[in-house]
Amino acid sequence: MWLVLCASDDGAAFWAYRGLRSLGLEPLELVTAEVLAISLRWEHLVGAGSLRANVDLADGRKIRGEAVSGVLNRLVYEPSLPLRNVRVADRSYAASEFAAFCLSWLSAFPGLMLNRPTPQGLSGRWRSMTEWAYLSAQAGLPTPDHSLGGIDVGGGLRNDGRLLTAPEPVRTVIVIGENPVEDSAPACIREGCIRLAALSKTNLLGVEFADGPAGPWTFVGATLQPDLRLGGDALLDALFKVFRDGLSDTG
Amino acid sequence: MILLCGIPSEPPLAAVRNELDKLQIEHAVYNQRRFEEVEIRLDVSGVSLGGYMSLEGRKLALEEMSGVYLRLMDDQSLPELEGEPRDSEKRLLSTAIHDVLMRWCEITRARVVNRPAAMGSNNSKPYQLQLIRNEKFQIPETLVANDPGLVREFLGKHKKLVYKSASGERSIVQLLAEEDLPRLDRIRWCPTLFQQYIEGMDLRVHVVGNEVFATRVDSGAIDYRYAHRQGYKDAKLTPYDISDGLDERCINLSRALGLDFTGIDLKITPDGGVYCLEVNPSPAFSYYENHTGQPIARAIAKHLR
Repeated sequence: MWLVLCASDDGAAFWAYRGLRSLGLEPLELVTAEVLAISLRWEHLVGAGSLRANVDLADGRKIRGEAVSGVLNRLVYEPSLPLRNVRVADRSYAASEFAAFCLSWLSAFPGLMLNRPTPQGLSGRWRSMTEWAYLSAQAGLPTPDHSLGGIDVGGGLRNDGRLLTAPEPVRTVIVIGENPVEDSAPACIREGCIRLAALSKTNLLGVEFADGPAGPWTFVGATLQPDLRLGGDALLDALFKVFRDGLSDTG
Repeated sequence: MILLCGIPSEPPLAAVRNELDKLQIEHAVYNQRRFEEVEIRLDVSGVSLGGYMSLEGRKLALEEMSGVYLRLMDDQSLPELEGEPRDSEKRLLSTAIHDVLMRWCEITRARVVNRPAAMGSNNSKPYQLQLIRNEKFQIPETLVANDPGLVREFLGKHKKLVYKSASGERSIVQLLAEEDLPRLDRIRWCPTLFQQYIEGMDLRVHVVGNEVFATRVDSGAIDYRYAHRQGYKDAKLTPYDISDGLDERCINLSRALGLDFTGIDLKITPDGGVYCLEVNPSPAFSYYENHTGQPIARAIAKHLR
């Protein structure tokens, strides 16, 4: 079984789900955060010789982690636990507990996951734009300088979380494993994107560029939640291949 | 130059500062309760980091910092912000300063004890147990579930269970007692953590770089930190020798978690088995140091140099 996990308004995830099914990735289930939130039965076991992550959904489906070969994980936040039956004084505690549970539960899926959860984000490690810019420069991508200070944190960094103000149009190179899906980017940019994905230990990464001070392919941001539709059929093919054959690197 | 971040009167920070003084290692303190008097600027140019922090009347270049010790509390919970509206300028300033500081701490070449991202595993105990398990430590079998039937089965298997928070929220570890069973139905609203109870000796191991300080903890309480509250005498703490190879394993575990300084909670079973319960990435080591005289603060001070 393969899984797509996403929010109910994640159109790109629904698009990928339909595309992967049409390519023959079966059985493939899509489960939204909203459906997960009202699950009837959660089970998560961590032991020396055992690791279990199961859930019985309210719609009757049962997910058994060990039976899942691969997950397209687009969960940005943990599902919102219905808290109306939890005492007001306990709600913040319950929310923390559920967040802790979700991170571990999802981490216990043994198969391939794009991307695996981290303490900094359920679908990969969230990083500040400063950290992305620093990694981007390390990866050899043309990266503009930036400064932070004063009450206006990040200054221009607040523009849609990107490094430059009003950088439209933004071009996105999506990297899956070691494969960049964007034919129009120069080879050095494509190679830099692969290096950035490796440096950030991210298997599915959107790297964003615009015309800027460092040239026509100036790095302006990176996202763990790229709009997959931008990659078209080539991206679907790459996703399908990864789920069918696995990643060539550590996965 | 060493940068200490937190509240200066807080015992661990005060202890490290005291040792830096004794060792005559130059340092500065960012007192987060006085954030309004602080200015920070970070300049990122390629892989070069510049900028400064104005502290205690001095303008310190960030690139001159060789070590950082982080003991920050949640900046939005500072007493100085009590009653401030969510979007008040004072609150925004606090957010801004701490945000820039954290960004810098993630990427600076200075030795940071510990980097913020590396400390994240402590926010989910079962997640951290998975990482510990990968490092070949034994771990107590742990169930997180919202089905009382599963918990009863688990209890039947292990006979003795404890329950505690799964998150980084502080909780008192409790034995699951017979009288708790009728209220197990309450877990249906949120998966709850239950753990095999491991009989044996409590051992707290502080790892500072390549130095190890092991402390044996004798207490009748399930959670020795709260012995008094649980009706027991305060725990007795004594230094303990783990130079039989356990010290190396603890160092390796800390490294694997990306942490320079850890407080590792172990249980040594009567037959010599070693179980790892948890790794604390920001341990309040002064409690152990005050009882045993183990020079943990000095080791941190030297490690930061």
